[in-house]
Amino acid sequence: MTALMDFLTVFTQPQLLLLVGLGTLAGVYVGAIPGLSVTMAVSILISFTFSWDVYPAIALMIGIYMGGVYGGSRTAILLNIPGAPSAIATALDGYPMAKRGEAGTAIGVTTVMSFIGGFIGIGVLALAAPLVSDFALRFQPRDYMLLAILGILLVGSLSQGSLLKGIFAGALGIAIGAVGRDPLTFAERFTFDFQLLEGGISFIAVMIGMFGVSEALLQLHHVDKDAVRQKIKRIVPSLATVKKHLPLSLQTSSIGVVIGALPGTGGDIAALMAYDHAKRVTKNPEREFGDGAMEGLVAPETANNSAVGGAFIPMMTLGIPGDAVTAIMIGALFIHGLNPGPMLMIDQPDMFWFIVGCLVMANFFMLFFGLTGIRLFTKIVEMPRSVLIPLIMLLSIVGAYAVNNSITDVYWMLGFGIFGYFMRHYGYPLGPVILGVILSRLLDDNWRRAIITEREDLGRFFESIVTSPLSLILFLGVILIFVSQTPLWTWAKARVFGRKENAK
Amino acid sequence: MKRMLISAVGALALSATMAVAEYPEKEIQGIIQWGAGGSTDTVMRSVTPHAEKALGGTVVMQNMTGAVGAIALNHVAGSAADGYTLLMGAENPMLYKVMGLGDKDYNEFIPINILARGTPMLVANNDAPFNTYGEMIAHIKANPGTVRFGSTGPGGLPSVVNAMIGAVEGELDVISVPYDGDGPALTGLQGGAIDVMPAVLGAAIEGIRAGNMKALTVFDTAENKHLPGIEAVTAANAGYNTYLPWGPFFGVFTPKGTPDDVVAKLGAAYAEGAKNQEFIDLMEGRGFTLMGISGDEASAFLSKWQQGTAWLLHDAGLSKASPADFGIARPGE
Repeated sequence: MTALMDFLTVFTQPQLLLLVGLGTLAGVYVGAIPGLSVTMAVSILISFTFSWDVYPAIALMIGIYMGGVYGGSRTAILLNIPGAPSAIATALDGYPMAKRGEAGTAIGVTTVMSFIGGFIGIGVLALAAPLVSDFALRFQPRDYMLLAILGILLVGSLSQGSLLKGIFAGALGIAIGAVGRDPLTFAERFTFDFQLLEGGISFIAVMIGMFGVSEALLQLHHVDKDAVRQKIKRIVPSLATVKKHLPLSLQTSSIGVVIGALPGTGGDIAALMAYDHAKRVTKNPEREFGDGAMEGLVAPETANNSAVGGAFIPMMTLGIPGDAVTAIMIGALFIHGLNPGPMLMIDQPDMFWFIVGCLVMANFFMLFFGLTGIRLFTKIVEMPRSVLIPLIMLLSIVGAYAVNNSITDVYWMLGFGIFGYFMRHYGYPLGPVILGVILSRLLDDNWRRAIITEREDLGRFFESIVTSPLSLILFLGVILIFVSQTPLWTWAKARVFGRKENAK
Repeated sequence: MKRMLISAVGALALSATMAVAEYPEKEIQGIIQWGAGGSTDTVMRSVTPHAEKALGGTVVMQNMTGAVGAIALNHVAGSAADGYTLLMGAENPMLYKVMGLGDKDYNEFIPINILARGTPMLVANNDAPFNTYGEMIAHIKANPGTVRFGSTGPGGLPSVVNAMIGAVEGELDVISVPYDGDGPALTGLQGGAIDVMPAVLGAAIEGIRAGNMKALTVFDTAENKHLPGIEAVTAANAGYNTYLPWGPFFGVFTPKGTPDDVVAKLGAAYAEGAKNQEFIDLMEGRGFTLMGISGDEASAFLSKWQQGTAWLLHDAGLSKASPADFGIARPGE
């Protein structure tokens, strides 16, 4: 009963309600601008809300978090520039839709699906947090490594056209991610004795350059052509559309919650894995993936928003952050005199239910702000290219600078922009590069942890994989997906199902 | 022309004295060496608003991470010594030189305030077959090469604690699993990926209270009031008295050459901020020992800390260069 009252706190106090709303609105726009990240906004808020009570401070932060994760999809759809890493997969099918004049539909579907995904994440947080966090703790370094390999196999689905070029792009991404002082031993890698390279290459700068600047440069080819007129007849998707995609969204949301709850992986990886999953299970998409398939929007957007609820699971039950934003929130709770940790749920259960309440509220606000103002947003793409291109460049530069307040990042961003332009020009996909950068550390660090733990003995390493059920499932998953992408699979399928094929 | 020049110089002189008299006349940048949500970040963000009140100015705090804090340190060391760019850092820059991570350390700075010091301790996974420091050492000696220790890279707290254990108990045959921070390592500890982790008390205390991990010993000369019944490591082996008390610390620094009155103002402001009851409660709740030292006292503390730690790591064979190369004297010499 008290739990219910705590849950309802945010609904009954207009001031808190207003703060969640304000936060969500701000989050949608902060999230939409590449480089202005939710992490940054929340860490600024820590100082800003220092003298406030803990409830209003948390309410505002949760609003920004929820809105920001969703907001990243806006620019991804409209301009092919993901506003945040978790919206990379959204651009793959969202932008082709906008190019056809269906930006309104794309944003509508994205909003409703984010809402559904958000709720599934919150539901799992509220009902099964201790269970999920126990499960997440069970992941050993070798399991994280296998997860990263599973992720790298996504290169197959992110490469439109040549797989070989995709593999090259993915490998390049992994190499970019390895630059700098290794965080485990502090050894310098690929730094060539430049102090500049010691801190590594900012992943956000690579992302903004590869997507933003290269897009602007590509658009220069068509600078005289008129912009695509956007049809905005139907923004809210029909019930039939939602129903049709409900089974898929349930699956991808589950992926989102689990990946979100794992400390060390977040919404970006969740969204990419969900996209891959959708591509695998969707038998006959209305349009091909990469060409504006609705499923290609549903999957990443449900997954990255359900990952929000997921990220709160280890934070609330164990005091372990599920991602960068929850890490800052732990700091915020600490500053406000609470002791975030496994005892928080026992000492202060009100905080748990209050956060769940805020998340629910923020999710509703997200739906509201997401479905309004679309007309205004789509105007952006209808602008003449001579205005739009400089605008993209400006946004890219501001975004790249804002990440670390570093002009070096702007140069990196521009360099990768030009490089990305040539990559596209010669048919190299950009998605795998970003995937490689995201997964580089996860793969590298955990492989080393795993093999060091087994005293650098490969035999013992494989023994530990085979004897742990979780590792074994992940390992078999890796093998299955790998084999399914080789000619061996078609051959085996023909052997096993040979008779059926003949009977046709 | 001459009169113009004189008046210009006069105006300049006037504005210069005014700038000092009115410090701070613009926003002050506080560069935090570590990421948002970490210990350094939390300490700085909780003391600074109180210091701002005493100072009558605004300190805009910004996290600048990378290269174990060296990027932030080099940035502040390279900015104007006018008191408008402050470094908010932890202990590790004092090891940059011997670890080959950089050529600058806090010797390029004036300490405004060294706020607090943490206490290291050993925590273990609940299923580990030992419950005290003595049992752990016996178990490691009986089962060489099986116990997994977490670490956070050379120069980090675990590497110093391990060097101390090595110096006192002799070399122990354990597996050292690297993590990028004590947070991820403690997560790994709870999941059974490692058995023992040297961590700062504040990071582990909530997990211990909840029974998710167990405390083996406190690396201090006396029991800690947050962990009654957990013996200090000096009780198990008096050999540790040579090295303890030792701990990571947090401080606010300004580049050398900052005008004395600015240093005095900042020092007074942070001293005042550190007296705030909320800040004190927060620090003590997390098991930090408040220090609040500045000036010569802080400089003496820093060089003593550097001597002890650098030579400890060097003797354990963990350093890249000898402390002697940088004029860091061996303690007691």
